[in-house]
Amino acid sequence: MFNVEVNGPFVAFFVFAAIMIGGAVLMISLEKVVHMVVSMAAVFLGLAGMYVLLDAEFAAFVQVLIYAGAVSILMVFGIMMTKHNAAKEPVRPLHETLAAVGALSLFGLLFYAIRQTDIPETGAAGAGGAPGAVTDNTLAIGELLYTGYIVPFELLSVLLTVAFIGAISLAKKEAE
Amino acid sequence: MGAWLNESMTWGNAFVLFIWAVVFLLIVLGFVTYAIYYERKVIGWMQLRVGPNRVGPLGLLQTVADILKLLIKEDTIPRKADRLLFILAPALAFVPAFAVLAVIPYTEKLYFADLNVGLLYYVALSGITTLGMVLGGWASNNKYALLGGMRSAAQMISYEVPLVISVVGVVLLSGSLNLRTIVAAQGDWFWQWNFLPQIIGFVVFYIAAVSELNRTPFDLPEAESELVAGYHVEYSGFRFAFFMLAEYVYVYAIAALTTVLFLGGWHPPAPFLDFVPGLVWFLLKFVAVVFSFFWIRATFPRVRIDQLMGLGWKVLLPVALLNVFLTALYLELFVK
Repeated sequence: MFNVEVNGPFVAFFVFAAIMIGGAVLMISLEKVVHMVVSMAAVFLGLAGMYVLLDAEFAAFVQVLIYAGAVSILMVFGIMMTKHNAAKEPVRPLHETLAAVGALSLFGLLFYAIRQTDIPETGAAGAGGAPGAVTDNTLAIGELLYTGYIVPFELLSVLLTVAFIGAISLAKKEAE
Repeated sequence: MGAWLNESMTWGNAFVLFIWAVVFLLIVLGFVTYAIYYERKVIGWMQLRVGPNRVGPLGLLQTVADILKLLIKEDTIPRKADRLLFILAPALAFVPAFAVLAVIPYTEKLYFADLNVGLLYYVALSGITTLGMVLGGWASNNKYALLGGMRSAAQMISYEVPLVISVVGVVLLSGSLNLRTIVAAQGDWFWQWNFLPQIIGFVVFYIAAVSELNRTPFDLPEAESELVAGYHVEYSGFRFAFFMLAEYVYVYAIAALTTVLFLGGWHPPAPFLDFVPGLVWFLLKFVAVVFSFFWIRATFPRVRIDQLMGLGWKVLLPVALLNVFLTALYLELFVK
């Protein structure tokens, strides 16, 4: 079971995993909201590192751009305008037990689903698993998005535009 | 150079890469030192002053003396500041600034990381610096610093959008996000470089770049007449130096990126001039872009915050989108 080869990607996997889990635990346990956002940004960065390990550079840097960059800044920006005093949450044992049960069963479900899914080795990407043998993933993603998945893609754009306009109109109503 | 990165990672190779990174960091620090000197001299001449001329011959050691002063200054942390974030913020601002330089190709042979999403890597990492500035402003627990940090966040987010969209035209023309491929796709004559076919994109990119650099006329995050110094008002000593360093490293990065994306990188302006090494052409274009930043700083007044936001969202963004549309139309009608 433990006959894994200790090589670069293996070490990197554990470093990124440590960053992600550490960030996630800190996110829950820290008290100041801004600190939580920073630890969440660490999780996002760790996740981007995981994508790089999986040869998905495009997803990795979009992850950094959107989540670690834009979303974190937006959250910090929003939090700065509110009061930022550290507040102790009241301890609620029943609530916490239920949350733990929910989280564990979600994990079980996902783990089971991932183990059951037969992921096919498609395309030329990562031929033989050799590092550096990656073809242009970005091109492949783009071609798929604009041919096979064009309808969902356009629907998503419409959805985002609707959300965008909705946010503006809500903000305008409050300003008046 | 880039070949080193594709070899298997042994301790020897790791050591070589580390040494290269250190050498490169020293080069960048040297650039920053003399960019500041050059900026002060150029602005001095433009304003009919002499500029620094006391320390060393022609004032050449002025910046060195300034840096030395910064490094031996007392390192103060305000008592009511958020200590952890206050210490973290300068590093968070500087590390991405240095990291983005990894994907810039200087000549056909001289480049560091040959990343197939190089352009995306650049814009993604440069966003983290904004996070560092905002956190620095917040952690200082100072009204002016907070205002500076907020402005910086608002400005960087508003201008990052047109900046990214303006380069989509270049990506469409060269069919790649790899910066080396983008340079290689630009032709031998100077009118085949992207800045003419992509003139709209180039103008939008240039304005947004000046704004991303927080330089005049868009230096609202540190407008000294309204905000004392902006987000780094509570910083002193080497932490302050880190913020300033990050800003000047971004001058380097954006100037290099402009050269690579729009000015043909290492290509000479005409094919018969190719006896001059590519690195020289790269450096000439690079220095010209850096000079233009200083020129703009010396000659433009600062814009107001509402004008800034209006320009970003109402002018640059639609124009950048129009540019993408026109480029796509051109490719569809004439190239395919």
